[in-house]
Amino acid sequence: MMGVSDAGFSPEGSFQAGASPSFPAPTLRFLLQFDRVSRIYEPLESITVRYEVAGAEAASMRALERSILWYTEGKGEEDIGVHFFERIADASDLPQVLPQGFFSNRLPASPLSYEGVIVKVRWCVRLRVFFEAGRDFVSEHVFSLGRIPPIRQATGGERL
Amino acid sequence: MTRYRLAEHPDSAMLNPFASRYTRPGCLPPLDHMGRCIDADDILSAFDHVGAMASIRGPHGAGKSTLLTHLADRWEDRGMAVERVRLRTGADMSQAMACIARAPDAGLVCIDSWELAGGFARWRACRKARSVGCRLLVTEHRRTGLPVLVECRTTAALLGEIVSRLPDHHRWFGTLIDSADIEAAFALSGGNLREAIAELYDRFERRLPPAPSLLVGG
Amino acid sequence: MRWPRFFSKKRGHRHTGSREWGSIAEGLFYAALLLGGLIFGGLLVSGVAAYAPADPGRVVLQRGYDWWMWVLTLVIPLALVAFGGSGLGKVIRMWGKSDERRAASAGFPEFLDTLGHPPHEAPGHPGVPACENLVNSPGNVLRYRLPIESPENWTLLGFGMFALLWNAVVVVLAAGAGANIRRGNPDWFLLALLIPFVAVGVGGVILFVRAVVLAASVGPTQIEISDHPLVPGQRYDVLLGQGGSGLFKSIELRLELEEQATFCQGTDTRTERLVVWRDAAGSWSRVQAVPGGRFEAHVEITIPDQAMHSFNSPHNSVHWRLVVRGSPDRWPPFTRVFPLVVFPAGRNAGATPHAPQGGKGVE
Repeated sequence: MMGVSDAGFSPEGSFQAGASPSFPAPTLRFLLQFDRVSRIYEPLESITVRYEVAGAEAASMRALERSILWYTEGKGEEDIGVHFFERIADASDLPQVLPQGFFSNRLPASPLSYEGVIVKVRWCVRLRVFFEAGRDFVSEHVFSLGRIPPIRQATGGERL
Repeated sequence: MTRYRLAEHPDSAMLNPFASRYTRPGCLPPLDHMGRCIDADDILSAFDHVGAMASIRGPHGAGKSTLLTHLADRWEDRGMAVERVRLRTGADMSQAMACIARAPDAGLVCIDSWELAGGFARWRACRKARSVGCRLLVTEHRRTGLPVLVECRTTAALLGEIVSRLPDHHRWFGTLIDSADIEAAFALSGGNLREAIAELYDRFERRLPPAPSLLVGG
Repeated sequence: MRWPRFFSKKRGHRHTGSREWGSIAEGLFYAALLLGGLIFGGLLVSGVAAYAPADPGRVVLQRGYDWWMWVLTLVIPLALVAFGGSGLGKVIRMWGKSDERRAASAGFPEFLDTLGHPPHEAPGHPGVPACENLVNSPGNVLRYRLPIESPENWTLLGFGMFALLWNAVVVVLAAGAGANIRRGNPDWFLLALLIPFVAVGVGGVILFVRAVVLAASVGPTQIEISDHPLVPGQRYDVLLGQGGSGLFKSIELRLELEEQATFCQGTDTRTERLVVWRDAAGSWSRVQAVPGGRFEAHVEITIPDQAMHSFNSPHNSVHWRLVVRGSPDRWPPFTRVFPLVVFPAGRNAGATPHAPQGGKGVE
């Protein structure tokens, strides 16, 4: 895999499909690394991610979607905002992105990551791999945009 | 199409497992009133005997939408076509009629909050479904004339089982949230699981320890 | 005693009240047009002939109209009926719907409406609400005057319209009942029906008069600010102006951060609001407004250095706002909210740190 940044990548975040106790699934692992160990990025900075999909035959993968998006979490309905989206389904292009690959993108100025009480804003890299028979698997990896401390730690004023 | 959502957070302590993201219909498997997994195939078999149209009935926050979503997913897994509609007002019935019109023969149309449609709109929808040959599965709070496939009700045991299936349960149960909180939330909400989960969300949020600094590493 | 101001100084097409009260007032307006058209048209049509009271079978006066006269005569009431009916139908159909849904689900007229609205996001800042409607009203002393978010004026208009329409119906019913009594043939059912109608009508008038007196006594609240939008880490001058003719036990100005989350599920829609951070910008006791003038106070607010910016998405939002809480001496306390928009740090909104200078704004 091409070297991307001299800063070194974050420790590999591996996640195994089927880890949720509720839904049985074949063993599938998404290994993803950010070019920042801390996973904290400033607005308008560039983010680089490299990934590897293990535990499945590359020939069985039909398409890959890579995206960078924010979503809300809390008591309200989930909202999402897609900043970057790319779908690779061409058979000639797939070997270059699966089972491993990387991509970079320039992050926007907002919204910043926010740990509120009933509203939280989170950024993540999402990988979705499509297999035969129409099945697909999704992996999300959260990072931070901006350095806003959790509202629970807000200084000054009165935290309620 | 089967989807599995996997999420990884740099700091799981920041995650509130009672957020709507982890508790909305489709995220948790449907459970009966005692917290046991419901066999969707059994229900779908019963659906075959009840007729082409049936309802899932229960009070607010009893898991009707969750069960409807699960049954629709299982129907799709069988390779059958499914159309899904959620009614927020009676005006949304036009969308439901469109779904029924394009549903293939033996397809399934799932309509959430069936009783929001007026009596005439419901009659029209049923008539259309019969003429198209599709099946109708709806959720309702009160009787509207369709045969009842499942009657949903809630108990504290059910809430406890739902809580046990939330993310990182082993990390926070017994420390931030315990069985007494579950009982109290169920009692406060009057059996409405959605309200009970909202109450547990607040309790969890209040008891979260100060989060570690985000400024780690480089 | 000052009359309430329904049309305060502002520019642009921003909402100064709640959307719900706006829809109610709009609906009442269209209902009044529809009712007026029906009554006017009914009177015109019914006034074709007059009959002798002693011999109802004999027409003593008959108006003759050519067909074109009918067309001309009925144009006005038909126009009122059409305009009022379509407007009322639109209000009912669009009640509670977001702007995105209005544009997506409705027809061409509603689509035109959305074209007239300013963009919802600030350019170059996804998720940050636009603030054009907050900076299109210059202040007298400081740079901008902020719009008020409180629904008091719409509440007043709503009470007034309700009292007017309801009592108009009561008058018609009472006139009919009175005519029956004069003829010696009282309609007891109509008289019984009148009792609750009159009670509600009197109650409506009392509520409206009370609201008018309260609004006039408390007076308007105005906030001016030295710059907008705001940026974390910066300080801003704020001028608070409070009208009114009486004594205020206390007036308090706060800077607040509020989160709002909406969850829809089936028939249930919950919107929860939570103030998560608050800073007292100023507090005054035993405030007596100068007759013909107003109480004024200059304060300084600071947006915390690592504060979250304003954020808006379809079901979740983070708002900054200035909140004025007043306790008049002989009236119920009031709360008036002035929205602010805070941009992410690093965006130069034109504000520079400075010391307060007796109310002089930064230009």
